[in-house]
Amino acid sequence: MKLARFFMPLLLLGLASVPLPAFAHKESDAYLNLRTDPANDHVLKGQWDIALRDLDFAIGIDSNHDGAITWGEVQAHRAEIERYALARLAIKGDGLTCAMQPTGQKIDDHTDGAYDVILFDAVCDKEIPSKLTVDYHLFKDVDPYHRGIITVHTARNTAGAVLGPENPTTTLDLRNPDRWGQFKSFVVDGIWHIWTGIDHLLFILSLLLPAVLIRRRNDPRDWPGTGRGLLAGTAGIGALASARPNAGYHWEAVDAWWPAFLDIIKVISAFTVSHSVTLTLAVLGIVDLPSRLVESGIALSVIIAAGNNLYPIVRQRVWLLAFAFGFIHGLGFASALSGLQLPPLAMAASLGGFNVGVEIGQEAVVLLVMPIAFLLRYTVFYQKVVMRWGSILIIVVAAGWLIQRAFDVLIPGFSALLPK
Amino acid sequence: MTLVLMLATAPAWADDRRTPYLPSSADVVLQHVPSSSDPRVRQFDLLREDVRRHPTDMPSVLKLADAYIGYGRSTGDARYLGRAQAVINPWMQKLPIAVPIALTHATILQSRHFFKEARTELKSILVRDPGNVQAWLTLATVAMVQGDYPTANDSCVHLANVGGDFYGQMCTAQLRALTGHAQQAWVLLSLIENPGPKAPVGVKAYVEGLLADTAKRLGNNDEAEAHFKAALQLTPGDNFLLTDYGDFLLDRGRPREVIALLKDYTESDTSFLRLVYAEAALGSAHMQRDINDMQARFAAMDRRGSHVYRREEAGFELHLRHDPAGALKLAEQNWTVQRAPEDMRIYLEAAVAAGQPQAAKPVLDLLAESHLQDPPVNRLVDKIAATRTPDDGEVASRGGAQR
Repeated sequence: MKLARFFMPLLLLGLASVPLPAFAHKESDAYLNLRTDPANDHVLKGQWDIALRDLDFAIGIDSNHDGAITWGEVQAHRAEIERYALARLAIKGDGLTCAMQPTGQKIDDHTDGAYDVILFDAVCDKEIPSKLTVDYHLFKDVDPYHRGIITVHTARNTAGAVLGPENPTTTLDLRNPDRWGQFKSFVVDGIWHIWTGIDHLLFILSLLLPAVLIRRRNDPRDWPGTGRGLLAGTAGIGALASARPNAGYHWEAVDAWWPAFLDIIKVISAFTVSHSVTLTLAVLGIVDLPSRLVESGIALSVIIAAGNNLYPIVRQRVWLLAFAFGFIHGLGFASALSGLQLPPLAMAASLGGFNVGVEIGQEAVVLLVMPIAFLLRYTVFYQKVVMRWGSILIIVVAAGWLIQRAFDVLIPGFSALLPK
Repeated sequence: MTLVLMLATAPAWADDRRTPYLPSSADVVLQHVPSSSDPRVRQFDLLREDVRRHPTDMPSVLKLADAYIGYGRSTGDARYLGRAQAVINPWMQKLPIAVPIALTHATILQSRHFFKEARTELKSILVRDPGNVQAWLTLATVAMVQGDYPTANDSCVHLANVGGDFYGQMCTAQLRALTGHAQQAWVLLSLIENPGPKAPVGVKAYVEGLLADTAKRLGNNDEAEAHFKAALQLTPGDNFLLTDYGDFLLDRGRPREVIALLKDYTESDTSFLRLVYAEAALGSAHMQRDINDMQARFAAMDRRGSHVYRREEAGFELHLRHDPAGALKLAEQNWTVQRAPEDMRIYLEAAVAAGQPQAAKPVLDLLAESHLQDPPVNRLVDKIAATRTPDDGEVASRGGAQR
């Protein structure tokens, strides 16, 4: 029949065009709520409501295909739902990606049906960031009209955005750009980075140990009879230690605090200047060295700094040693900020803060160790045991790291000492 | 478009009304989804498998996209528009976009009430393929929805030329019904009421629906009701027919029948709204609860930035929340998108209720051109004409003189 031929190519399309509201449901939405946690500055509490009918379409929830999704079926698919959804969402606090940890599953009823609720923690490196970036890709490939409705609640305000495949990313201001707050939070980060980075600490300690001592050539007239020589050489072990590798030199305690103290500040500051340079270059992506090389270099620097206490190569200008190796340590610090992407001002505040924090952390170590060293400087315990055997111990540990890092092998016992 | 809000205090919608909960047992049914006992769902599986196996085969892709659109249309579930769009998305990267893909895209656009974009797409299709029946039909439909009757007429003529008598007649009948010739429309539709045994049931139901509408315009209510029932018998549960018939029953003062008709279709926002109207007419105990629910649905659409239902929202504000000024504002916004008789009616109702009949001038202007026959619309025009001073009454009397 003639008419029927017309129907064939037009079967459904021809009838989709009705001049009246043909569609009567809302399109697909999911609701993502993030709340700052008053008890923990590093965590955002996430609640993500995703329609069961959307999940069923995308990954299949109605296992028995009876057209009715039960709570049991939803629970059975919990891991699959979390894997699917969380892989399509990224949350960044001040440019650093937060780790997503699912914490629970519930159900929520919305106006257009039941939603699966993914409860999760977004664990950020930073404390409550001033800027939160949400990268949203849920259902991008199965429904381009899906929208993610994002709401972020902080103690002070609420911010929101609607995201979809055409605009998957938003950056929400949680606080007015608080450069000072951002600076401070990165100062804290810098301090922690030094205190928890045992390789950096050992490098500083190696530089610090001889700060209360002066290296002197043995005066032949003093050897072995004078009072000063006697004082220095009374203990048998001390005489042994000082005599063997460095015959002709000995350590002497400094007389005054201030020159020694200022000298070590100079050394640590030289270290800061150079590591600030490479840290900045690395975070800005201008310099990029393989981490294996950097980490090995750091281990080597510790060996050389400690070795310098046994076989001094650099004597008067220890700050030069610190300055030179600061470059490689700076590249190591950068790993703590990897992936940091911020607008210029925020970047300056963050990097500046981190550098200041590292400096404060180092000076704190100096302030802690120097007075003790100064008090003990005349003792054989300090001059021989701490200085000599301490340096040897540092060399052994750093050598272990060097081998582990450079050759990518695991030496039992050394991993415990390694910074994460 | 990103909607970014920086708010000092939480807006109402940010305050979560609901609290997530743990259902009491594993057997609790949380959500109904299409079941595989539905042949259309089994068909989806076959078509999807086909596309998976032959991703470069355009006919397979089109079949799946059309199946989604068709299912979405009959159930009213707009999610299927997005699913259809996802199916054709890879094909829209290949420029120039193939005509059948562009046509499916245009259908999705107009279903989502992106009428302007749909028209642009359709016109560019027709430049490349002037014999495309579906494109002319869709363009005619969109033009009619927007009150652009010259374009609609032109499209109907082209459609008759390339698509044959049946579609030409259907198109012209629809247009005549909107332009003061409902009686002619009735005759034309009667001629094609029986499209033959091979015609799909959906086509028959569509013609029945047009007959019902036209009878309604002519004031032949018994006839209209018979055709509504015939259409619903052919395609039970069709969302468009349900709401249209629901409106008809409400106008007849038969709210109980509306509740019986729609109580199983409350997932559909348009059906649910008619149900709430019926509850309000009956003073039902559920009324307030359901008004709140309906308001939450509008709020949810607002949050996503969707304004497809401004006409419905205007009616809701006017008849259920008794806010004529708010309703008028929504009706005015709606008028910039669509201008069907239902859009005229709510605009006029809101303008009268708000005491601002002059605000309805755009509707009166269009009516003066089209001479639409539609009893509720014509009554409203008369009402406005009666309140007008002789000075500015000319427009209104022309609009009202057409009954």
